[in-house]
Amino acid sequence: MPDATNGSRGLVPAVTSLAEYQRQQGFVALQRTRERGNGSDILRTIRQAGLRGHGGAGMPTADKLQAVVDAVATRGGPPFLVVNAYDADPQSLIAETILSRQPFLALEGLALAALAVGAREAYLYVRSTNQAGYTAVHSALQQMHDGNLLNGLAVSIVGVDVGFMGGEESTMLEVIKGRRAMAVQRPPFPAQAGLGEIPTAVLNLETATQLVAIMLDVQSYKRNGNASPGTKLVTVYGDSEQGTLVEVPFGTTIAAICQQAGVSTQGARAIVVGGPEGGVLPPDRWNTPFDFETLKAVGTIVGSGTITVLPAKTCFVAWAKSRMAYLARESCGKCVPCRAGTKRMEGVLEGVMSDIGVAKDLEVLTEFSTYIPNGSLCGFGWNATHAIETAMRYFGDDFQRHLAGECPTGTCLPVRSHRFATKKVL
Amino acid sequence: MATVVREQAGTSPGGEGSRRDDHGQPSFTFTVDGQTVQAFEGQTILSAAIAHGILDIPNLCNDEKLNPTSACRMCLVHVDGQERPLPSCNTPASPNMHVQTKSDELTHIRRTNLEMILSDHNAYCQPPCQMGCPTHIDIPGYLELIAKGQDREAARLVKEVLPFPYILGLVCPAPCQEVCRRALVDEEIAICRMHGFAAEQSIDDPPTPWPQEASTGKKVAVIGAGPAGLTAAYYLALKGHAVKVFDMMPQAGGMTRYGIPEYRLQKDMVDRELEGVWKLGVEFQGNVKLGKDFTVDDLFAAGYDAVFLGIGAWTSNPITFVDNSEADESTQGVINAISYLMDKTQGFSVPVDPGTEVVVLGGGFTAFDCTRTSLRLGAKVHTVYRRGRKEMGATPEEVEDGQAEGTDLQLFGAPVKLLQDEKGNLNGIEVIRMKLGEPDASGRRRPLPEPGTEFTLHCDTVIPAFGQAPDVSYFPTHVKGVKTSKWKTVVTDPWNFMTDRAGVFSGGDCQMGAKTVIECVAQGKLAARAMDAYLRDPSPEHMQQVSKLIEAEERKPDLISIVPYKPVEPKVKMPMLPYEQRVRNFKLIEMGYTPEQAKRESARCLQCACPAAGQCDLQMYSIEYGLTDNRFHDGEPNDFHDYEVDISHSFILRDPNKCINCTQCVRVCHDVIGPNCYGMFGQGFDTIVSTPFNVSLRETDCVSCGACVQVCPTGSLMMAERELVKYDFALDRCIFCGDCVEVCPHGALGETPNFELSFYNRIGQGVSLHMDDLARAPEYLVPQRVPRKPNDVPGGLTPIIRPLPARRIRE
Repeated sequence: MPDATNGSRGLVPAVTSLAEYQRQQGFVALQRTRERGNGSDILRTIRQAGLRGHGGAGMPTADKLQAVVDAVATRGGPPFLVVNAYDADPQSLIAETILSRQPFLALEGLALAALAVGAREAYLYVRSTNQAGYTAVHSALQQMHDGNLLNGLAVSIVGVDVGFMGGEESTMLEVIKGRRAMAVQRPPFPAQAGLGEIPTAVLNLETATQLVAIMLDVQSYKRNGNASPGTKLVTVYGDSEQGTLVEVPFGTTIAAICQQAGVSTQGARAIVVGGPEGGVLPPDRWNTPFDFETLKAVGTIVGSGTITVLPAKTCFVAWAKSRMAYLARESCGKCVPCRAGTKRMEGVLEGVMSDIGVAKDLEVLTEFSTYIPNGSLCGFGWNATHAIETAMRYFGDDFQRHLAGECPTGTCLPVRSHRFATKKVL
Repeated sequence: MATVVREQAGTSPGGEGSRRDDHGQPSFTFTVDGQTVQAFEGQTILSAAIAHGILDIPNLCNDEKLNPTSACRMCLVHVDGQERPLPSCNTPASPNMHVQTKSDELTHIRRTNLEMILSDHNAYCQPPCQMGCPTHIDIPGYLELIAKGQDREAARLVKEVLPFPYILGLVCPAPCQEVCRRALVDEEIAICRMHGFAAEQSIDDPPTPWPQEASTGKKVAVIGAGPAGLTAAYYLALKGHAVKVFDMMPQAGGMTRYGIPEYRLQKDMVDRELEGVWKLGVEFQGNVKLGKDFTVDDLFAAGYDAVFLGIGAWTSNPITFVDNSEADESTQGVINAISYLMDKTQGFSVPVDPGTEVVVLGGGFTAFDCTRTSLRLGAKVHTVYRRGRKEMGATPEEVEDGQAEGTDLQLFGAPVKLLQDEKGNLNGIEVIRMKLGEPDASGRRRPLPEPGTEFTLHCDTVIPAFGQAPDVSYFPTHVKGVKTSKWKTVVTDPWNFMTDRAGVFSGGDCQMGAKTVIECVAQGKLAARAMDAYLRDPSPEHMQQVSKLIEAEERKPDLISIVPYKPVEPKVKMPMLPYEQRVRNFKLIEMGYTPEQAKRESARCLQCACPAAGQCDLQMYSIEYGLTDNRFHDGEPNDFHDYEVDISHSFILRDPNKCINCTQCVRVCHDVIGPNCYGMFGQGFDTIVSTPFNVSLRETDCVSCGACVQVCPTGSLMMAERELVKYDFALDRCIFCGDCVEVCPHGALGETPNFELSFYNRIGQGVSLHMDDLARAPEYLVPQRVPRKPNDVPGGLTPIIRPLPARRIRE
């Protein structure tokens, strides 16, 4: 089990019985909202709190839900609600921990979101590898049903494992529809045409849990200086294979998060922020506040909320290559830039890593790190090149050393005997 | 969140930019590249643009009748206010939207998309070898036949454009092999030697490319029995014209007989292959020379309707020294290269023997023929060429062989003067070293002498092989009305090969200056076509049309760089006579392939031919976006895919190697037709369109409708070439259930009110078959066009509806 005792306020201690949850002000927010408010009140409160999506993109949640309400007005409803509790990044512990330790909190958040848009049917989208979370939330849902707390809201738990791509919004909807896990071009957005072409609200699980705190007491929902309001769960990895989940206010620096998680940055070469698609930051960027805009400015993303401290022996050519290899395998294969582009970048990086690269290879890498995001269909491709971009930006010397014929850390073994070559038509 | 929303577009009909279009539909306007475009609610940018004649937005995965998928990323456009380009096939237009379809960024994305697709497209459009060959032999076709063991059919296929595959198999410099795409994987295929092999298998009973046509009653005279003349004679005879070939030499073959030494081409084999020409009724008269024994006027007077001049280039150029002075065979010790080779091949005595020391000047085929002939005669030989190895006209193999057989190769050397001893006999040649200067107008770098580097080569014989020229000195008197150029070549129309004198055609070395055998054959073939056209309609307008037609056909198509992937398979080398066995004899040095070797070598062909070439969208856009290079050649095996081709289905061929994952077949089969035979398979880079669970298409619910083939933008899905099968109809067992009519996927059997009277739809509407006729139905499965008029019904049936008396069925 993940160590969720370290500063994760909302998750300590685990609450898996209805009685226990109700003792701790559980369902107060839901009951009060049901009695007093209607959808627009909830949206106004969320807007007042300034909540942003915790799934990685950081969209204002109120705008997202409002779009659904607006679409229902023209297209009809009732809308659907889909809560993404998938943990696409296999290293992320966020959804796993929330579902297994606070299943009622998760379901209360889901019910609040359903109220906000007027949904009568909701889907909780869970990764099937997350057995503990699935069992806990299933049991909690049964208890809520027995306790007549759902108020007619139908909740289906969908458990699948379709790889990293499964966490992408449109892919998730395709999977729920029973189709192959492939992304779909937007617009139209799910808010206008989601499940069954009916307006569908899509929220991340962590965002949904934030709704409980907001509806309970919006005044105490805090902003840390100029940072985004509220807190964020972050999974931190150091030397150990076991990650630590911590809850921090937005705006906490990367270094402080590591410290809070008890992961030492002593002697580390760099820190990766954002999971499989995140970029890498050198020591002089470790004081960057953890927030959407600040991370974007240094070349990375909030992403899956995973922070990995890399040891001194990390070669960034090998690291970027392993990132690209992972993405080339996980791409849904639909659009050309993502399917083939990631594979070709992997091949070029393998060439550089095997000391058979040439200076022109770096030009190809630079070119492709704008080609893939601009050409791709979904967020997978848009974010696929943060790793290579930041590796080249902050650790360009590693690439030069490899071009000169040696690995900067002496850790790389050749993986390829032919480098890609340009050939003209015969 | 984007402002572009399909459902929101035009929701306020009274709003700005909203009005009704010509059909009364509520519509609005937006701009594409500054042009105002009208669209209706929910219409995509692409659809609206196409409706307004803006056709230059590329797309590979879009089809009007299908839901957009936006997979190919070719139709990306800039929409004002959007961070990234959006696919126009999926994005609905909205009022007052501003769309840009062209920018450097879009061009770059589109071009790179194509490069990505082509980097994993294990196929090719048009075989470069076929383009490289002057006669355009169907090389993938005959190699496939040889690989299947069908050597005779392979020889027949080659003979469609090249009548002498055996001879060319030995002497052709093989321009096809220089461009072979197999070289991108390992080594080129032995293309040229392969047709030699195929022809050798049936050399005494050669196939004709097609049956000889009936006699036309026209007479043609061909002057010169060389490769060009005999090729023209061969195809003219096949067309049914009476052809007579005249030659100044006693036997036919021209330079292939008299210029090419025995060790490269055995003359008895030449005779056996040329027998194929005489078998068609072509007559031959040797020992008669134009300009001496007869004139062109004589031929027309003798009743010939057309004349082909293929007199070749038989005059050797003299030695040109660095100071531009010249010396020819009138100088003691200098031999004419052509006479030398000619005398040797005829078995006459030549002035070279084991005691002589020979200097051959030049770097072309003739130079090496002289070099290697002299070596075989036991002489000591120096071969002197003024440029480098790369610039040599002879093939690298020939140069290597010459050196291995013992010549002393002197590159970058030019003759300064001949040296004589006191008796006036030649005893040496002074040579100066050259270096390459700036490229001249022709692009060749002109060699310049380096003063002070002169040296002497001892010799008693010098053979200049500086090229040949045709002898046209007698043209003004004996070939009246035919112009010659300052290079002493015959002037003709470049495509129909007719000279200024109507009815007189010319081709081969005498028309273009000394070139290769294969180029002469190509000209002979084209000239035969033009002459055949002339004999049918000699009007100048018609000949101009023919010229234009041939020009269009000969135009080189655009080729694109596609990364091939095939496992490395070593070339099967031609078994060669060992060097030590080449001393003092003229044995054939290329010993020929065994059938097993030939099969193995032919099977290496990548089959760079696609039936979809010319109709392929991928090819079209790749040419448009200039994909003449690709950065992703030479990868590791896991960078590419090599899929098995699914040919199990009777009607539809699936080649996943050409699939670009556009999913049009998936959508058309699911959304329009219904059986849902296709889906995506695999993960990540290995994603590919396939059938559910990757079974053969035959195992799916396919109804053989062919809609997937229709929408496929490449050649990945093709209709199978049907081998027509004859089905027997056992009338005595038929219970007239009509099931056959019901299940026939192509409606080949139709149903009338009395279903027993099935009418046969392929014959045309309104034609009804008697049950006996239905039994004879296989006879109508001939590959003929659907008749337009009732009279055209094959098989002699009266094409009227003939209702069958009901009682006859009951009987």
